[in-house]
Parts: sequence; structure tokens; C-alpha cells
Amino acid sequence: MTAIEIIGLTKRFGGLVAVDGMNLSIDSEIFGLLGPNGSGKTTTVKMLTTLLTPTEGDALICGHSVTQDPRRVREQISYVPQDMAVDPKLTGRENVIFYAKLYGIPRPRETADEALVMLELADRADDLVKTYSGGMRRRLELAQALVHDPEVLFLDEPTIGLDVGGRRRIWDHIIELKKKGMTVFVTTHYMDEADHACDRIGIIDKGKVVAMNTPTALKTEVCRDIVAIRADGKFHGVFPEGISYLGRTGDELKFKAVNGEEAGVALSRAFTNDGMNVRSVSIRQPTLDDVFLALVGEQDETMAFDFQRFRTMLRRR
Amino acid sequence: MRETLYYMERDFRRWSRGRVNVISALILPAAWLIFVGLALPIRFTDNYLDFITPGILVLTMLGASLQGGALLMFDKILGFLQKFLAMPAPRETILFGKILFITCRGLIQTTIILIMAIILGAHYLNPLLLLQTYIVLFIFGVLLSSVMTTVALSLEDHDSYAAFNSMIAMPLFFTSSALMPYDQMPAWLATIAHLNPVSYAIDAIRAMQEGIFPATTILGLLIGATCVLSVSVVVFRRATL
Repeated sequence: MTAIEIIGLTKRFGGLVAVDGMNLSIDSEIFGLLGPNGSGKTTTVKMLTTLLTPTEGDALICGHSVTQDPRRVREQISYVPQDMAVDPKLTGRENVIFYAKLYGIPRPRETADEALVMLELADRADDLVKTYSGGMRRRLELAQALVHDPEVLFLDEPTIGLDVGGRRRIWDHIIELKKKGMTVFVTTHYMDEADHACDRIGIIDKGKVVAMNTPTALKTEVCRDIVAIRADGKFHGVFPEGISYLGRTGDELKFKAVNGEEAGVALSRAFTNDGMNVRSVSIRQPTLDDVFLALVGEQDETMAFDFQRFRTMLRRR
Repeated sequence: MRETLYYMERDFRRWSRGRVNVISALILPAAWLIFVGLALPIRFTDNYLDFITPGILVLTMLGASLQGGALLMFDKILGFLQKFLAMPAPRETILFGKILFITCRGLIQTTIILIMAIILGAHYLNPLLLLQTYIVLFIFGVLLSSVMTTVALSLEDHDSYAAFNSMIAMPLFFTSSALMPYDQMPAWLATIAHLNPVSYAIDAIRAMQEGIFPATTILGLLIGATCVLSVSVVVFRRATL
């Protein structure tokens, strides 16, 4: 059975279409939903976690409909929202036991201990959470979410506000969970993290999924490698197959190719054979940022830039 | 409904870790009990402390409920509520847990005030009277904390809640029968006091002090509490959709 099956999911707030007829099928993978602010990421997650009722369409989580059988859906999922809601006045252990009890787990203490060990919080489990770092709090939230061994885990911006080490650790845990067979649905702003961790990525813009594939495929699909060659002389031959000429800036010739390294070698060989003097070859791999910008474009902020306020802000400094 | 208790347990743990809130909740009623109960020159009774103790007990409950109403709103603002709502536990248990916590916390505070009153000389050591007092206070607590939780959920921000709170707290207390009997009040005040739900709770306890079981008043409070609780369930469901 597919873990998440989204069928024509739509949410309207008055005249605004936040999510527009989304169709997705996600199973046993880390699925990353990327998109600019206000593109409908959180609205999607809230509908899938039964916190919002869809205007149209439906979604099945492990076969249970979010509109018809929300209680069953909640038994299968865990949801970790953006805002890091853990009780600072309770200890880490108390925070997790509380969730274990709410989920009605037979042995709440033992299960909580297992979750704390798994997320490397066991040695600090009896300290008050107010002494925890941001990364530890996030891991504590994961421990809470994992006590009932959910089939599907929803994470909304799991690494927001964490330092580099903290982020890597969170992703290591998420990848570990996927290896155990869990389906993870994650939204994020960090392209490099999505590229590194997600099996598939969906890019959402204005409520519509504009592209969906593996990170590698997205990068080859949307923008190819860029090869830049500086050479003296004139080329009379034919470009090797699969390489297209993009243009010239100064003495630099630019090409687009599926595999930049191979294209670079092939091009410089062809140029040399034609009697040209190749001085440098450079290859730039497209990043997910390039893909994102190519698909979504530079974002206009929804609010107009307030120059007066900007000046007041500068003066206050 | 086990979950109700787990939600309540969480709030009790959090409350017990904050030293200031435990003490601060007792200062105001204790001050009333000591400064008004002992110092006011009153002519209509020989033992004003006996007369005012039910009023102060209900005031303590009133304060606890007003203070507690914002708790659920904070859970909402800070993101806890979202996590709770995505769990399989029946959603209403979140609300019931909160109301039960506010009421039970109020009962703990009233117990401390009651002990103070007894030490100061109030005649309150009758077990039946104590039991009945607690029942009245519990019903009153459920009534008032449901009202305040509903208000907080509908207002959705803390400033307006605090404003609403300070607007109703003192008028509710002063227009009740807490400080003087109806026959000592000016006619207009007596009319208001007869309508004030705070008076119902106070009058019920006073009746029990005299050995009368105030069945109608208790029934009235019970019906009131049930109605308000149903309204707050509706508001809660709407606020969480």
C-alpha cells in the first residue's frame, strides 16, 4: 500500500488558491517539498496531517482518507511543525513519556528510553529542556514523534535555525529512519540539504507542483552542466554529440551538456585537433538552486518594499 | 478519556516547576482574607471572618480560572496544540485536560486559603461542610474555566485576553455577595448581585455553613457549567479546524 497518495488535493482560502489540484504518490522514501514562501508547502502538510480540511480532493495515508477517517490517519503519522514546541520546564524524558502516554503505548517509560537512546539524548534525558540547545530540542521532538513508531513522518522545516552540525545530525537521523522503512515527507528551504538527503523532490509554486523527480534527474532535466572554454583561433568542425553552444562572453565560449566533464574533454580534444590553442576548460555543475530558480524564478516579496521603514530602521542602528 | 489526565499531568508538572506562579496565585486571596477579613469594622455580624471566608474561597477559584484561561491559547500560539491535534487522542481531551487542570489547581489554592482561614479563627472544620464546599468550588471552577478558555480561544491574542480579564475580574467580585449580605447592599447592587454567578457559589457555601443543603443553587451551577462546557467544546472544535 502506498504510504501517501494525494488525489487532486485543493485548498482555497476565500479567493486565494493555496494548493491547487495536487497529485502525488509517495512511498518508502524521503520526499522533499520545496517552494518559495507562501507557495503552499505548510498548507499541504497541514491537510495531510488532518489539521486542515481540503476544499476539494483527498489524500490517503496508508490507505486511510484524511477527510473520511482522520483518526486512523493520525494513528499512522507523526507531525513535527516548524515552531519547536517542547516544554522547557520539563525534562527531556518527561517530554517523551508524555507523548508515549498520549499515544497509548503499553510501556511508555521503556519506549521513551529507546527513543531517547536512538536520538542520542540518553545522557541528558533528565535535564530540563530549557538547558538544551536548538539541535537537541529538535532531536527531542523527533524522539516524541517516533515513540509510537509511525508509518509516515511529516517534518516542516526540520533544520530551520540550527547550526551546521545540528542540521547534519538531524538529516542523518532522518536518513536512518528511511532505511528502516519509514516514509518521510519533509518541507525545506535549504536546497543543498534536500539535494543531499531526499530521494525525490517536488517543487511547488503558487500551489502547483511544477516539477518532481530525483534531485539528479531534476538537475539534468532542467539545467545541464555548463562548460566554459577559453581558446585562441577559429573552430571549423562539428561539435561532439549532446553538446550545444550557448554563446560567447569575451574570449570564453559557453556550452551546455548533460555531462560536463566528458563534454569538456571532448570539446578541448576537438578544438586541439582543429589547430586551436585551448587555454582553460571549466565546468560548473548546476545546483538545485539553479533548478529552483529556473523553475520558480526570482521571487517578488509579497509585500512591497517599504523604503520609509527601511530608512527608519537604518537610522536606529 | 485517560488522555485528559495526561494533559492535566503535563500542566501540573509545568506549574510545579515555576516557583513564582505557585506563590503569586495565593497572595491576593490571602491579602483579602487577612486585611479585609480581620480589619474591616463590620456591624452586621460578630464573626466577619466566617462570613467572608466563602467569598474569599470563591475569589481564589475566580482568580485561578481567570489566570488559567490563557493556557490553551498559549499552547496554540507556541505550536503545542498543532502537535496534539495531529495525534490520535480524542481532540476534546485537550480541552477537558485544560479545564480539569485549572479547576484542580484552583482547588489546591483554595485549600491553602482555607487552612489560613481556619488558623485565623474561621469555623470550618466540619467534614460534611468541607466536602460540600469542595463540590461547589469544583462545579464553579469548571464553569468559570470553561468560560475563560472559550474567551481566550475566541480572542486569539494575549493582549486582548489580559484586557478582558482585568475588565471583568474586579466587577465580578465586587458585584457579588462576597463582602456583604444582600440586606446590607444598596438596592441596585443587590439586584446585580442576585444575577451574578459568583454569588451563587458563595451563597451555596454560606447556606451549607448554616446546615442547609442548597440543592437548587447547586443544580443551577451544574446546569450552567454543562451549558458553558458544551459551548466551549463547539468553540474549540471550530478553532481547531
